[in-house]
Amino acid sequence: MSAPILELRALSKSFGPVHAVKTVSLAAHAGEVIGLIGDNGAGKSTLTRMIAGAIRPDQGDIIVNGQKEHFETAQDARRAGIETVFQTLALVPGLDIVENIFLGRELLVPGATGRATRTMDVAAMRRRVEEGYQRFGLNLPDMRTKVAALSGGQRQVVAIARAVLWGSGVVVLDEPTAALGVKQTELVLSFIERLRSHKVAVIFISHNMQHVMRVADRVCVLRLGRKVHDGPMSKLSGTDLVALMTGATIAAQ
Amino acid sequence: MTRQQILGWTQRNGLFFALAILIAIFSILSSRFLTVPNFTVILLQNAVIGLIVVPGAMLILCGLVDLSVGSVAVLSAVVFGQAMASGLGLPVSLLIGLAVGAAWGAFNGYLIAIQGFSPIIITLGGLAGARGLAEFVTQGYTTYGYGREFAFLGNGKLLGVPVPVILFAIVFLIGLHLWYRAPLGRHMIAVGGAKDTAAEIGIKVKLIPFWLYVASGLAAALGGLIIASQLDGAAVTIGTGMELEVLTAILLGGVSFTGGRGSLFGVLFGLLFVGVLSNGLVQVNVSPYFEQVAIGAALCGAAALDMFYQRLERLNVPVESEPIEAPQAGEAQ
Ligand SMILES: Nc1ncnc2c1ncn2[C@@H]1O[C@H](COP(=O)(O)OP(=O)(O)OP(=O)(O)O)[C@@H](O)[C@H]1O
Ligand SMILES: [Mg+2]
Repeated sequence: MSAPILELRALSKSFGPVHAVKTVSLAAHAGEVIGLIGDNGAGKSTLTRMIAGAIRPDQGDIIVNGQKEHFETAQDARRAGIETVFQTLALVPGLDIVENIFLGRELLVPGATGRATRTMDVAAMRRRVEEGYQRFGLNLPDMRTKVAALSGGQRQVVAIARAVLWGSGVVVLDEPTAALGVKQTELVLSFIERLRSHKVAVIFISHNMQHVMRVADRVCVLRLGRKVHDGPMSKLSGTDLVALMTGATIAAQ
Repeated sequence: MTRQQILGWTQRNGLFFALAILIAIFSILSSRFLTVPNFTVILLQNAVIGLIVVPGAMLILCGLVDLSVGSVAVLSAVVFGQAMASGLGLPVSLLIGLAVGAAWGAFNGYLIAIQGFSPIIITLGGLAGARGLAEFVTQGYTTYGYGREFAFLGNGKLLGVPVPVILFAIVFLIGLHLWYRAPLGRHMIAVGGAKDTAAEIGIKVKLIPFWLYVASGLAAALGGLIIASQLDGAAVTIGTGMELEVLTAILLGGVSFTGGRGSLFGVLFGLLFVGVLSNGLVQVNVSPYFEQVAIGAALCGAAALDMFYQRLERLNVPVESEPIEAPQAGEAQ
């Protein structure tokens, strides 16, 4: 297999006496969906927040494309090509889809006057989003629709699409389907599946084993901060996953 | 979709039509109303408020407010007057007057945007404090008579257009550019509507409001100087009640007081609506007491309409229905 896009080497993080994450290593390759599972408090979100640059690891290294990175802020991680979509989604309801996708990195009219007057190239931004809609076969309403008018699943898709349109090679999704109904979940899961063919590495956190089994190529299990399993999805059943999470031995077949 | 489009269109243009109807009514009632000189008067009467409304609306869009504008206007005018009286000359005195406004704005901005103090409390303090300071500076002695050059600021005309109206137009055009064509407009909506998200994305959630307060102070100072020029004196009455006139235009214009939503064109129509209403009522000899009642009624009407539109908008959210798993009751016999 080719070199991983993202590699975590023995990451550890403690909060006082609580060892939230203990020497966890993980490699993510382009076009791979990794299901990251574990019981409540297993350390999934803590691991995610270290990858996202929201908190700093006590020990261990984060390597992106062979380069060792020290993220101070979420923007550092984003610049390195890692986008994390938290439950909050980081979307502004009062802005439309295009405005949200380009928020904070608006394109300006090329040339000195464009830069001096801070004039946005609105047409170029729309064109880029239009292209993205087609490239990823995005099933979203018109791109001028305000995010306030979107459903939960559509918002998830916008948040993920923003990451991918900005060329992030790694997208981390912390429980993207937790608050969604059946149809909305389908919207998000099918989009995650489509990302695979676009050479994006996805780390997908979920408590729903069916969702994990549907989209993940590989599954990685955390228990009390330690990685207790890492292997291909195809060999495991839902019962196996639950057993790994809770620490019960896998029932002998 | 069409219903939603119609809805959105009337919402965006409702105030424009209210203004058009108002103008039509006054035109029928008074032959002097719909004339170029009268409209020049309306613009001139509202130019100073208009100048201050532009940064004011941006602050409201960010979820903030500046109640100190009227007091900053009088303080700037009074300090200018003292500078003139002590022989510093017009250019230096003008700069000092404007600097007072910018400095007060920076003071507001520092405490509110950087340190996180309540915008209402800090600028309410400014409302009392800056006017008190202005009265202290004058010591009951109003300076006047600043010469013809300064009179041009408030009373001069270029190509038949009063100078204050030109200044208002310039500020408004800059405002339009920033609001609609520069990234700032979206950033302000993000700051006002979802501050934590904006910060997370890397938008300057402190610096943007800081500079808006500076701009508001500067605009208030310019407004104070224009009025001082028109009066040819730095009276301590300058700017009384100005903050309410500014807020009325902004809120009538449909900018949400909680931030995150609003249009600068709406604010222009709000400003003109109040201007036309005041002027028209005088033209048709309605008691001036009634003017305040009419403006108050218009504000309440605008608030009610806004609620109404928001309700309708919420009803129009295109949420896909979840598949219903229960079998059709009719067929299960
Ligand atoms: N900021 C913090 N301060 C103190 N303890 C924390 C903090 N964040 C996480 N923890 C602790 O670290 C451990 C791991 O938490 P984490 O949120 O990573 O779990 P999780 O796997 O995401 O759980 P869940 O499935 O409930 O989201 C927990 O014991 C939690 O209480
Ligand atoms: Mg979690």
